[in-house]
Amino acid sequence: MELSEDLLRGLQRLADPAQFNLKVFSAVLRAALHSLSPEQAAHPALDDTVFQHIPPCHIKECQAAATTCILEAVRNNVDRAALRYLLLHNKYGGKRVTSSFVSSYCSCSHSTFLEDCKFDKERTEHFWTEYQKHRESLEILLENIGRGPQHVSDVSWRLAYEIKTNQLYKTYRPSYLVKFNLESADTSKAPDLSFNCSMEQLQDLVGKLKDAAKSLERTSQL
Amino acid sequence: MLLVLSDEHRAHLQILTQVESAVVGEFGRIAVEFLRKGSNPKVYEGAARKLEVSSTTIQQAVEGLTYLLTESSKLLISEIDFQDSVLVLGFPEDLNKVLLQLYLDNRKEIRRILSELEPNPPHYHNLEWRLDVQLASRSLRHQIKPTITMKLHLKEDNELKTSILQTDPATLVHIIQELEQALAEMKTNHCRRIVRNIK
Repeated sequence: MELSEDLLRGLQRLADPAQFNLKVFSAVLRAALHSLSPEQAAHPALDDTVFQHIPPCHIKECQAAATTCILEAVRNNVDRAALRYLLLHNKYGGKRVTSSFVSSYCSCSHSTFLEDCKFDKERTEHFWTEYQKHRESLEILLENIGRGPQHVSDVSWRLAYEIKTNQLYKTYRPSYLVKFNLESADTSKAPDLSFNCSMEQLQDLVGKLKDAAKSLERTSQL
Repeated sequence: MLLVLSDEHRAHLQILTQVESAVVGEFGRIAVEFLRKGSNPKVYEGAARKLEVSSTTIQQAVEGLTYLLTESSKLLISEIDFQDSVLVLGFPEDLNKVLLQLYLDNRKEIRRILSELEPNPPHYHNLEWRLDVQLASRSLRHQIKPTITMKLHLKEDNELKTSILQTDPATLVHIIQELEQALAEMKTNHCRRIVRNIK
């Protein structure tokens, strides 16, 4: 986990009670979390009247710092002690905080990053509580970023009984049309995948999927 | 269901009455070969020299026989209907028997060849799967995300096409349930009744 000097400066500013009282602090934190939530488009994050007396560039800096700090913490699965340490390290001349530093200090669980970043106890607690509240949804958000094969999200099927074709009469066999609904980050790709199969082929397909499900179940019991 | 054979068709087949039944068998073999691999003019010329007729006559006879076999296979006519249809040609009894045997022996294969001519949308061919657990990505470390990666092989006009797909355990179970329902549907009374009545 690394935070740049600019961002650490933002966090320090956020910790300063002279500039940001607790009310403004929590408003910035709320705005940061809000900007990461899926509903962010519906509500502008930063039109709170509590910000009136603070230069907008400072608010911007602090919000960016808080947002990045939250995202980095989620990304690296940072625990309470490490998060506290992250803010602690800010004290030492704005050196970059690296994950190896963090992990080596993880054992010193009482060193408090937020507090030494001049975050008082109340702010540290507040930050942690809010962070915990949103952590799971942020993990999902981050998990969905990235490339991967197209994801099958559902299946539809249609059963027909084939009677004759222009080439062949009395064919008399069931015929299935199977459609996989696909989800892909790349929307230009075909939205789904359809194919035909005979009853035997569908049995083969289901058999193979069942094999996969069975070994999945076995693996999860290990 | 009887076959209706045109006069022209009958004329083309007339040569079969003038040769021995072994030769008719040979004509049958050439006709089936024609269906498998396409026409072979060299064979026609060879046969024409032996029987001292023009190669066009041989070609017409082979094509006539091929048509007789494909039409009867296409309609899947019964043994009796085939005999009755051929009766109209006025061939001797033993020749009719050779033709019937030819039809019965090759019906299955000819239907298979004809089925290749059907309109051919992508068809299931095979599925390979792999079980993965995603452990980390650039945007999120420390993940435990089981995924099933599948390689679906589809066949379209004899060409294999593959797609790489992925799904999660819950969806996999859902897909299996849905497709099992699809298979079970064929065994319902509704479907059985339809199948019984279409014959």
